[in-house]
Amino acid sequence: MLVGDFPEVLRRAAAGDASAFARLWRDTHPPLLRYLWVSTGDAAEDVAAEVWLEVARRIGSFRGGEHEFRGWLFTMARRKMIDRHRYEARRPVSPTGDGELLDHPAADDTVTAALEYISTETALALIATLPRDQAEIIVLRVVVGLDAGAVAQIVGKSPGAVRVAAHRGLRTLRERVAGATVTSPGRGGVTL
Amino acid sequence: MRVFAASLAEMWSPARKRNRLSPDEATAELLLARRHLGRHEPASERTLELVLAAAAGPATERELAGETAAVTAFLAALPEPEPARWPGPRRLPVLAVALVLVALVALCGTAEAGALPAPLQRLAHQAINAPAPSPAMRVPRPSADVTPGPGATGSQSAPGSSGPSQESRTGKPSANPKPTHTSDSHGNGQPTASDSAQPTATDNGKGNGGTPGQGGNPSGHPTGNNGNGNSQN
Repeated sequence: MLVGDFPEVLRRAAAGDASAFARLWRDTHPPLLRYLWVSTGDAAEDVAAEVWLEVARRIGSFRGGEHEFRGWLFTMARRKMIDRHRYEARRPVSPTGDGELLDHPAADDTVTAALEYISTETALALIATLPRDQAEIIVLRVVVGLDAGAVAQIVGKSPGAVRVAAHRGLRTLRERVAGATVTSPGRGGVTL
Repeated sequence: MRVFAASLAEMWSPARKRNRLSPDEATAELLLARRHLGRHEPASERTLELVLAAAAGPATERELAGETAAVTAFLAALPEPEPARWPGPRRLPVLAVALVLVALVALCGTAEAGALPAPLQRLAHQAINAPAPSPAMRVPRPSADVTPGPGATGSQSAPGSSGPSQESRTGKPSANPKPTHTSDSHGNGQPTASDSAQPTATDNGKGNGGTPGQGGNPSGHPTGNNGNGNSQN
């Protein structure tokens, strides 16, 4: 988060300053990519590129602070993600046997990997095993750092429904990692 | 919306939600808010905390690999500035009103100076009390009598002509606005009305019509008959 620097960075980026835009991108692109990866899988990079193009075109008309900016950007990302799902539903891609085109890993495999060494990708893969709405809400809250009200606006639900979905997702995750030993970089292992 | 979010955050603050939510829900809210759990929490919760912390970990090199391409796309996608040659559609009405105002001011100034064509000046006189058009600015009516007859020269008009003199047609006030009268048919010279009004000694040799007190026009403006007919009869 840019916090105090955000207004100036946003103003410069809106004026076409490439370095200011790069700073916005470095701060926001990783959580955007993680959100899209959990929601759309391998199409995340393409959808993220479309989102940033849209940001570049419309950043001059944006008004608000950093939280509003994130809400604005992730709302665009979600709309493009839905468009992508509709497009793929009309033109389904047949599997080619390439490992990169496979769906998200099964829950059992992910838990097995998490037992050995928990990385960002592994943790996201574990979250991605949840139902899509629950995974989406957990990423928006935990990874992007939005509160329940902002997430509710993005996903088009009430704050109460967002809370319920998040709690259900966490409960499922807890059950899947129960009894496992997770090792995180920089922290000691936790033996269950 | 901020008020709503603030009230929501207050509602879900740790102090209150500990009282309202079940232990599982309270712990879930702490996890979602990325707050550290205490050591008293069960190990399963602490494991879940590690998983979520890893998901929100620092950016990886792979995630940041596309920065150059993103900046290039940003510069290419920037909307081009509008050309400054032509005002935008928002300014067109303002420009039109300004032009109309300037034209009205110029028209009124010209009318006050009395420099408009006669019909327009007359209109301005009636509308904004501008000076009335001068008689010299009146447009003459075309008439067949204006054409000079045979023998007419210079500023002389044809007999019976009531049209304006040559000077008046050109817009210059005539030194003698009265119509001239000729007596060519009698061969007694061509005394004009101005000549008769100011008789001189040379008139005596050709008749007395111009002489006051001899049946002439007492006003000093002899008619054509009086100027010549009396002297021959």
